[in-house]
Amino acid sequence: MDVDRIRNFCIVAHIDHGKSTLAERLLELTHAVEGRDMRAQYLDRMDLERERGITIKAQAVRLTHDGYELNLIDTPGHVDFTYEVSRSLAACEGAVLLVDAAQGLEAQTLANFHLARDAGLAIVPALNKIDLPAAEPDVRAKELADLLDVDADDILRVSAKTGEGVEELLRAVIAQVPAPGGDLDAPLRALVFDSMFDAYRGVITYVRVTDGRLVPRARIRFMATGVESEAEEPGVMAPEALPVDALGAGEVGYLVTGLKDVHEAKVGDTITTAGKGGATEPLPGYREPKPMVWSGLFPNEGGDYSELRDALDRLKLSDSALSYEPETSQALGFGFRVGFLGLLHMDIVKERLEREFDLELIATAPNVEFHVIRADETVVVHNPAEMPVAGTYDRIEEPVVDATIITPKEHLGAVLDLCQSRRGELIDTNFLTPERAEVHYVLPLAEIVFDFFDQLKSKTRGYASLDYEPWGYQEANMVRVDVLLHGEPVDAFSTIVHRDKAYAYGKQMVERLRELIPRQLFDVAIQAAIGSKVIARETVKAKRKDVLAKCYGGDITRKRKLLETQKKGKARMRKVGRVDVPQDAFIAALRVDEGAKKK
Amino acid sequence: MTGAEPAGVYVHVPFCLTRCGYCDFNAYAGLDHLASRYVAALLREAELAAPTWEGVEVVSVFLGGGTPTTLEVADLKALLARLRQEFSVAPDAEVTIEANPDTVDEAKLARLLEAGYRRLSMGAQSFDRSVLAALERIHQPESVRKAFDAARRAGFDNVNLDLIYGAAGEAVESWERTLGEAIALAPAHVSAYALTIEPATPLGRQVARGAVPAPDPDLQAEMFEMACGMLGEAGYGHYEVSNWAKPGYECRHNLGYWERRPYVALGAGAHGYRDGRRWWNVRPPEEYLASVERGELPVGGFEELEPADAYLEEVFLRLRILQGIPSSWVDDGREEPYVESGLLVRDDGQLVPTERGMLLLNELVLGLTA
Repeated sequence: MDVDRIRNFCIVAHIDHGKSTLAERLLELTHAVEGRDMRAQYLDRMDLERERGITIKAQAVRLTHDGYELNLIDTPGHVDFTYEVSRSLAACEGAVLLVDAAQGLEAQTLANFHLARDAGLAIVPALNKIDLPAAEPDVRAKELADLLDVDADDILRVSAKTGEGVEELLRAVIAQVPAPGGDLDAPLRALVFDSMFDAYRGVITYVRVTDGRLVPRARIRFMATGVESEAEEPGVMAPEALPVDALGAGEVGYLVTGLKDVHEAKVGDTITTAGKGGATEPLPGYREPKPMVWSGLFPNEGGDYSELRDALDRLKLSDSALSYEPETSQALGFGFRVGFLGLLHMDIVKERLEREFDLELIATAPNVEFHVIRADETVVVHNPAEMPVAGTYDRIEEPVVDATIITPKEHLGAVLDLCQSRRGELIDTNFLTPERAEVHYVLPLAEIVFDFFDQLKSKTRGYASLDYEPWGYQEANMVRVDVLLHGEPVDAFSTIVHRDKAYAYGKQMVERLRELIPRQLFDVAIQAAIGSKVIARETVKAKRKDVLAKCYGGDITRKRKLLETQKKGKARMRKVGRVDVPQDAFIAALRVDEGAKKK
Repeated sequence: MTGAEPAGVYVHVPFCLTRCGYCDFNAYAGLDHLASRYVAALLREAELAAPTWEGVEVVSVFLGGGTPTTLEVADLKALLARLRQEFSVAPDAEVTIEANPDTVDEAKLARLLEAGYRRLSMGAQSFDRSVLAALERIHQPESVRKAFDAARRAGFDNVNLDLIYGAAGEAVESWERTLGEAIALAPAHVSAYALTIEPATPLGRQVARGAVPAPDPDLQAEMFEMACGMLGEAGYGHYEVSNWAKPGYECRHNLGYWERRPYVALGAGAHGYRDGRRWWNVRPPEEYLASVERGELPVGGFEELEPADAYLEEVFLRLRILQGIPSSWVDDGREEPYVESGLLVRDDGQLVPTERGMLLLNELVLGLTA
């Protein structure tokens, strides 16, 4: 294929703005897939993704239309995967900016639009869902036109559902997205923009060839990891896998790498030819995946540590962003401290562990990575248990993010209040339209991890959207709050919070635990403490009566069975010092900020 | 079979005038028309059951229910005569019959005594009108006093009063009055039970749906301690979790359950026990009748106790009574925290629960046997 007739593009859209429906329609229109073969939302492969209506794994599909080869590259739609998005964008020359004609721009779209524009992509703006009664195409077109600094008439109007305007959109992509450049004769350089693990074929990467040609059975080298292998099978998805003789400069496709571990073929890496024919300079932009959020994962009662370890090892094969190390908790036993890209990633991993590996897990409250600064060193802490004692360090720094929130005007006050209460620092507020505001805040990531998204949704009746990106570290007055049962600290309940919030957190935890800890033979003090200073306290009064009042001839068998049942229940309890704590109490107590993960 | 452990005979009479809301016994109101058939069946069952108990001395007979005194005295007399005929009932055997205050008068009581029922267990429950109402008992406090006086006049010196504490709305003061009234009557024996909510009762269902509050265990603990104090002061020995007696008046029959001595089961739903085997008769009176009338033992089920079951039973039953368990039954050191916290005392190689320990007996059992 003549490089001039290739177009590589992606669709940037908010969740539910119809990206997948549009992709389906494009497949249909270009006869890549017949209508009745169309699986709902063809590009989203995993069940989990389909259920959540999101795309985790980027993929590329080749369409042909009018003598053009059109590579549609799918992008993940979540803030956790910003880096993956940036790599997908790097594989494209253009992006369709797709906006719901009823709902307008959302924070996610805006963030990805900025990424696309910064990557130098041609932007093809389009309004979707113009068939909806609630659609306001004129208002939304103006909003988009203002953002892009173009004429409102240049905004395409589409209904992916009915097919209206889709053909025009395809033509606009061909006309407005530039053909890829690249030198066919230069040494091979191909960008890995996605990498997945297939149980039968091993690691499959999605690649954009920038220079040279990728041919079957070539010896290749991954420049960042240094791993070499044989290019087993280059191909394209049309939309089913179709092996090709070569992927040339400007082309997009897949490569069966012959590798068995996705960590050897990371997103952002550059593939070149092994040996002296190879390129010397990798493509720019490679970054190691960096966990942002940590949580302790422990097997639930009777659960097996080695099963959890095996499951994580297996999961890691297909999830290059997953990292973990063994952790021992006095209260929860052996488990792992697991690093995630974000809350959604954490939720997905937990759900996959439970669903695909049939494990029952206890997860400790998620926390971020703190930097503890001492005279001559910086201690990195991503487990509250590792937090040094107050007084032994100079200061603590916490990660902050640059957050973008888009909200209808009437909820602006509530959004500002929420951000202020979360230690936010207002950068600016712009009105996208007279009705919708865009707010920028610098917010501590720890605050976002703590049920921020739920609060945002509930305070704006679901209308606000949020996006953020890392914005470095800043000093913060953080303290570790410990929870003690009968004088014994429960490591699973320790957390690092801002000093101003320590009391509220401590109070909430001790009150919750008072409800969850069964009465014992002695008064159980439940305390929240910063160092040796107790900030909240509750007491579970000693149990005074636990006896069967009547036990005569006809009662004995039944009472014995009752005791046996109680005995089993007691055996399932975890001991914290002298205190028996039911497993459920841990799960329920750690559910404090459960809402934060739902997205 | 000389040297065999002495046994008790339990006879169950499943008839009541009314059902009380808290009661989960095998008892029925409105089946009085079955009474004479039922007595005949008991006589027959005694014959059927007796051969396997040959040579075993019977030291106690207990007629429970239900309300045994709903039966005719002539029938009750015939029943006891049959038991003496079929079993080796010791001449001085303890023979107890349960009675409701409203089902007895002096004449009837005198005839019962004459028939050989020498111990009377009376379901007083409370001397507080509102507590009796909460328990759905049909009698009034005056009936208890009247029935008790009648028993005295009829010649009973061994009378037990059953009391229940901790019903909804009962305050400590009410329980104090009830205890005081009971002590004033000077019965030989007092059973005081914390009200227990059984799910499969009308009261249990009311509690489940929140119509009636569940008993407050702390309040019941306070009432238990009050009973220990007042009854102790009045000269009653606390010999089992819920039982107090003047010296020498401990219930020999019930001690048999806790000491795991054998007992014969007669009547619908009655449980029997002997040598690690427990069995129970079918519960519905009609089924019981049909079975016995066919000339079959009406056994509905049985269990053979595994050593672990037997051990658990032995521990939780013996800890209920003052004699406690031998220290050697408990793995080294398990008892230590309980001795330290005053729930158990060591007494001549035995581990005996204190009164506080009795209130936490389930914990003790679980802790000692875990």
